[in-house]
Amino acid sequence: MVHLLQILINGLASGAVYALFALGYTLVFSVLGVINFAHGAVFTIGGYLTYLLIGGAVGANGLLAGLQLPLALPFWLALGLAGAGSALVSLVVEAVAFRPLRKRQAEPLLSLISSLGAGVVLVNLVQLLMGAESYSIPSSTLAGLPAALNLGGAQIRTVQLLLLLVATLLLVLLTLWLEGSRGGKALQAVSEDPVTARLLGIDSGAMIRLAFAVSGFLAGVAGGLVGLSVSIAGPYFGIGYGLKGLGVLVLGGLGSVPGAVLGGLIVGLAEALVPSDFSGYKDGVAFAILFLVLLLRPRGLLGKPLASKV
Amino acid sequence: MSTPAAPPLLALRGVSVRYGPISALQDIDLQIQQGELVALLGSNGAGKSTTLRAISRLVKPVAGLIEWRGRSLARTATERTVRLGIGHCPEGRRVLARQSVAVNLELGAYLRRDRRAIARDLQRCYERFPRLGERRSQPAGSLSGGEQQMLAIARSLMGRPRLLLLDEPSLGLAPLLVAEVMAILQQLHREGLTILLVEQNAHAALAIADRGVVLQAGSISLSGSAAELMAHPDLKDTYLGEGEPGDG
Repeated sequence: MVHLLQILINGLASGAVYALFALGYTLVFSVLGVINFAHGAVFTIGGYLTYLLIGGAVGANGLLAGLQLPLALPFWLALGLAGAGSALVSLVVEAVAFRPLRKRQAEPLLSLISSLGAGVVLVNLVQLLMGAESYSIPSSTLAGLPAALNLGGAQIRTVQLLLLLVATLLLVLLTLWLEGSRGGKALQAVSEDPVTARLLGIDSGAMIRLAFAVSGFLAGVAGGLVGLSVSIAGPYFGIGYGLKGLGVLVLGGLGSVPGAVLGGLIVGLAEALVPSDFSGYKDGVAFAILFLVLLLRPRGLLGKPLASKV
Repeated sequence: MSTPAAPPLLALRGVSVRYGPISALQDIDLQIQQGELVALLGSNGAGKSTTLRAISRLVKPVAGLIEWRGRSLARTATERTVRLGIGHCPEGRRVLARQSVAVNLELGAYLRRDRRAIARDLQRCYERFPRLGERRSQPAGSLSGGEQQMLAIARSLMGRPRLLLLDEPSLGLAPLLVAEVMAILQQLHREGLTILLVEQNAHAALAIADRGVVLQAGSISLSGSAAELMAHPDLKDTYLGEGEPGDG
């Protein structure tokens, strides 16, 4: 008999990861009005980078077969560095798949396709280098922490609690940054009205790069956390999360930060409530909720109404 | 009135702008001296906004030269014109509707780093526009049209411009509010600010301007002192189309 608290924590933990994922989409969408389809690949890379940085060895199938970094960083340091590396990858995606099209004032739909292409290339690159096998990040890298806690009779995996804590911390920091800092406000100004932002002296190109870097960092950290709590199930493991993240994004309302968080938690909890005998139908449940919400509220739960043209 | 020795603050020399196949401005010559208030008049589509957009580099001229204090702006990005001292208060006000009044004003001072002076300017701004002070924490989108116009002007002032480009501040405002906006512009002019004021409401604009320039189908068709233009018999019928509604 699974304890309700356990289900709740598990649901919130995976929901928090979905929220991190969807926030990355949201940041880029809010400044460009386009979904970055390479986001799932950046998440994947974050997972692999974390694995390598804790000193994990590459399997026998990739070009890097047998490689093992001569360092075994503590998980938290590895996770932060993997986030930074993912931010760089995200900046490269912007420079290659988005900026050239933007300079030519191409249709936004075209950069959606070019980002999809960039994502496929990145995933294939990972496969080429690391092989197709799955890797797991042992929880022994969290030195000193017990594997599970007993909370009121429920066995809660420590990893799930950590996932929830880290994701919550990042969400709070991101919100504080967006609402309180000069850069965050400038980013919101670009998202609301790029021309007016330029007339105020805000460099919209720099703000777009900032959005990509932050979204890449969030994706990379999410990848590392999932690698720890579940596993890195091969180069394509980001794609499923990518689709789920898109669903969460639409469920919460395109471009809404609190919407992305709320959407993530709802999907995570709904999945956790699916009995384990039917766990194969988790995705079906998640997308059925999305479908129902969109029937009732086409702009998502917290989607903003169109800017008033007073 | 003007000091002939110094280069003009802003000079347009033979500027032409095209939107694809459509010619929006042809061979515009216009100079603005430090401290002047110049009204740029004309009917809808005459090229008034395009002139301002060319000055702040939102559109690139196909011919001609725009000089700021004697130096060409040809390689300057829009963001940089703000740093040089050109404040552009765009058509339709364009306040950031989801942001609060205070954040709109803060972003007006985005490029400035002098926190104390910014705080002082913000205080002065709330004194000049008491309504904005009362509503500082409300989203700008909830303000009335007149308040949004005041906010747009105040936001431009927060950047401490040397030249303020104003695009139709009277548009859609009731006559009483038009008079209020014009009184504020007149006050700013007295304090020494250089202003290029785009208006369809020629009467209201010429009442406060030093001189006026009339655009017609992308070319300058008439220019002179405000008094000359006001007295010109054909100003409204010939140059601005029909007489306009809502003169203050």
